[in-house]
Amino acid sequence: MAFPEYNRYKIEGCGKKGQIRCIFFCEFHPTAGPIISCSEPENYISKELFDSISVYIITKAELQRSTITVTLSNYKILGFPIKIEDKKYERNAFLFNLCFVCDSDIRTVHYEPVVTKLSDYLTAMEIESSFLSKGDKVVKLKSILKQILEELNTKGECALSQGPIATHLKVVSIRVDPSLVADHQVPILIKELPEQHWDLTTQQVTTYIDGFNHIARIAALSDVENSLVKACIQNLIYYGVVSLVPLFQYGNVYCTTPKIKILAQNYHFQQRCLSYVAYSQRALPNLREVFRIYSSMTRGTTVKDLCLRFNPVNLRINERKLVQFGVLEGLIRRIHKYPVYLGDHADLQKSLSGSSSLDEICCSTNITTQRLEDQLETDHNVIMIWK
Amino acid sequence: MMEVSPLSLILVKSDSKGDRLLFRYPYHIQESDECASTQRKNPYTLPTTEDPLQSAQLTSNIIKGYLTGFSDEVLSSLFAVKIELCDKNFELKVNDVRFVGFPTQIPLMKKLKDGSGYMLINMIIALHAVASPSVVQCYHEVSKKMGIALRFEEKRCGYASEQTQLMTASHDEGFQNTKEAFNIILEKCSLARNIKKMYYDLCGTGLVNVYINRWIPLSYCLPQKAHQWHLQGKIVEPEDIYKCLSALRPYHSMLLLYPVSDLHDFIPLDGSPTLIRLLSQYSPLKNLQTLSADSDITLNHVFELTAHLFYWAKATIIFPICSANKYVISPDAPVHRDSPLVEKFSEEFPGYNLLQVISEYSLPTSLGQKYNPLCHPSEQSHLVKTLIWMLQHHLLIQLHTYIQYMPLDNMAKPAGESLKLQNTPNPELESGPSTVPDTPDPRSEVDQPRMMNFSDLTFISLDDEKQEYQEELLLDFPDEERSSIFRIPATNNPEDLRLFAKLCRKKYFQGEHHIEEIMYHENLRRSQVLQLLDKFRDVLLTYETEDPSISMFSSFDW
Repeated sequence: MAFPEYNRYKIEGCGKKGQIRCIFFCEFHPTAGPIISCSEPENYISKELFDSISVYIITKAELQRSTITVTLSNYKILGFPIKIEDKKYERNAFLFNLCFVCDSDIRTVHYEPVVTKLSDYLTAMEIESSFLSKGDKVVKLKSILKQILEELNTKGECALSQGPIATHLKVVSIRVDPSLVADHQVPILIKELPEQHWDLTTQQVTTYIDGFNHIARIAALSDVENSLVKACIQNLIYYGVVSLVPLFQYGNVYCTTPKIKILAQNYHFQQRCLSYVAYSQRALPNLREVFRIYSSMTRGTTVKDLCLRFNPVNLRINERKLVQFGVLEGLIRRIHKYPVYLGDHADLQKSLSGSSSLDEICCSTNITTQRLEDQLETDHNVIMIWK
Repeated sequence: MMEVSPLSLILVKSDSKGDRLLFRYPYHIQESDECASTQRKNPYTLPTTEDPLQSAQLTSNIIKGYLTGFSDEVLSSLFAVKIELCDKNFELKVNDVRFVGFPTQIPLMKKLKDGSGYMLINMIIALHAVASPSVVQCYHEVSKKMGIALRFEEKRCGYASEQTQLMTASHDEGFQNTKEAFNIILEKCSLARNIKKMYYDLCGTGLVNVYINRWIPLSYCLPQKAHQWHLQGKIVEPEDIYKCLSALRPYHSMLLLYPVSDLHDFIPLDGSPTLIRLLSQYSPLKNLQTLSADSDITLNHVFELTAHLFYWAKATIIFPICSANKYVISPDAPVHRDSPLVEKFSEEFPGYNLLQVISEYSLPTSLGQKYNPLCHPSEQSHLVKTLIWMLQHHLLIQLHTYIQYMPLDNMAKPAGESLKLQNTPNPELESGPSTVPDTPDPRSEVDQPRMMNFSDLTFISLDDEKQEYQEELLLDFPDEERSSIFRIPATNNPEDLRLFAKLCRKKYFQGEHHIEEIMYHENLRRSQVLQLLDKFRDVLLTYETEDPSISMFSSFDW
């Protein structure tokens, strides 16, 4: 269950994904000052440009070991300045910075760990074998930079095994943190589970993800602790394998969203919808009937009402799948009911505050929705908010 | 939400005498932990033998929402940029702080002793690194406006050089710590006071309103923040606003979020007189077209004024309130017992509970349904007032009826791809190319190749008895669609059929237009449209949903 270690970063803006354009190695020369000593491709950053930004690359002491990104009109330069103090150097210290260059509208935050790790790798090589300060480093560095640039841009990972130390670099894409999973939600696989050695919990849990079992039920069926199931599902959501839908009940109410017009316009979407909602693949339902049922979903109409009105079995439509498809694709949206208690009873005020829906209350108290609803209806102090 | 607010505002200058951090706000906090940082960096301690290989933990430069870890010298050396980066957007990210600014080159009114005639001024705004690009863009503009105002005031009366000299002198007086110097600067320099006010404006409402040198107004609206008061927790991007504004139509209406009297304070003395005229005629029951006629302003200008008020979070866009509008509770409305809105509502309407009032909109409800002829008129006006209040707070959304024309059981495969279609289980699909094209092309005969379908022959023979007008009216419809339409009894009435054909040809039935829009464009009454929909319900499917163009504030991305 590996969450990337940088998940405290949110997605930084919505910058586009993009490739690394150039990697350069820059150092503080004892007489010439800051210079680019090696660059791949060569001369990507002009001398004049470098001079105007060198203050952000070979920095003051306070900014050493900070990830620094400077955005210019055409480039975005990401670096991690390093200083190695040792008497053997001409100025008692060796300052360098290995920088990635991208286009200015590209997101670079996911390269930050790579730059840091690479700088640490070079530091280690320098301390061990004076890799950077002695001999023909340009030739050696050039091949390394070339390899990194090519492999990170094509494969997203790169293994370096120059000299005595080896290191592995990998670009981990940063995604939005998945929200918390609640007991009453239903996970559903939205694509094939990738062939991987998943951890034991996931292996045990995934067999029960069928789009109809809710979290609490999966926990009971798979004999795994509830919080572990939630963590596992959350992880799968992070990787985009699983999505959450509301629990299916015949008393549920749904409403249409503006997205429903896609169903009338896009042929391929229609075909996908029809084969998803069909009872059997041999006899697909009519689009018009499917559309008619979707468009009849309004506040106040339960799935049961729709079944009585349209008799979906006769129309070769599986109503559970119909609702599932609609929710997953955003054609329809579940209307939740939020009971609010307006009387004076303190406990009831707390549990029926209007911030938890009927589903949540039912799931936590283990009462059927029908019973709870009947009970609430008799109480005049309780009002129901549908939204 | 926090990441929209600035961490700190920093003013840096650079001229022939070198670079200098003139002022930063807030400055109180950093003092307290500065001793901690000096301890860490004491030059007399022995260098700790820490392992350079050991990866440093991620360093953060933000403590409790304040900028920390940078000395004034470092900041000034970072932001006194080289000439090549002048008069361009400046953006630098260090760890988890993003510095945004617009370095501006200012020609000095009086040349310095050494003959140099330029000074660089850069007002830097420190932000959380996670701030979105649109927020960064907005702060670039704030900094740019400051630069322009200073350049102008320098040219007019040497304001910039006077203020920077005052600030430098205060720093040079040799105070124990910078805090004291900043206190003196805040007392002496109006520019520093402006920066302080900007900081609080940006952290608070997002509406900046300062006068540089008590002369040049610098006003700016940070939409991500300004829309907060009526939409807690939802960040409104400028792009959302532009999208909504491009969907603005004459039948829409503007709903002011403040009483008109409050807005007069918002308009500066030299504000547009048309805006004042518009406000004098304002009513949420009028659409923009009526408003334009009543206030005698061109419709285009009304659009511009509406857009302005909307951007500055003074108004929102709704469909004009009328008795037929159907409202429901917005999916993200914060209505629960502990919501601050509950109290706000009962302050506005004593004796009423928001939760009780809003629960009546659980099912789609129109004002017409709630009017009771026996009610006192005051109760009706109360009803409208509560409705307006809830709309202002985005607790309600309006449902519109959309219409989808679906003459056949299944849609045909898009033209051009029909060749690939061999193994589809549905025979209807193979029968004809494009009947309802993906992209709305005009229904011309050229685009609609005919194919006689033998299964429909029976209907066609029946149709022979029908009159000529039917054939004529639906001449440009594909055969299949035509036969399915002719099965509807209402086609025998030429009036109905003509209206149906007309609206169909104008693409009103593709789910893009709601009934109200059709009524507006075609000058029809609601009952006419509803009757038509009822008569042709076999081919026209209706559904109710919100208008996506103006419901952009709801939490869903359409």
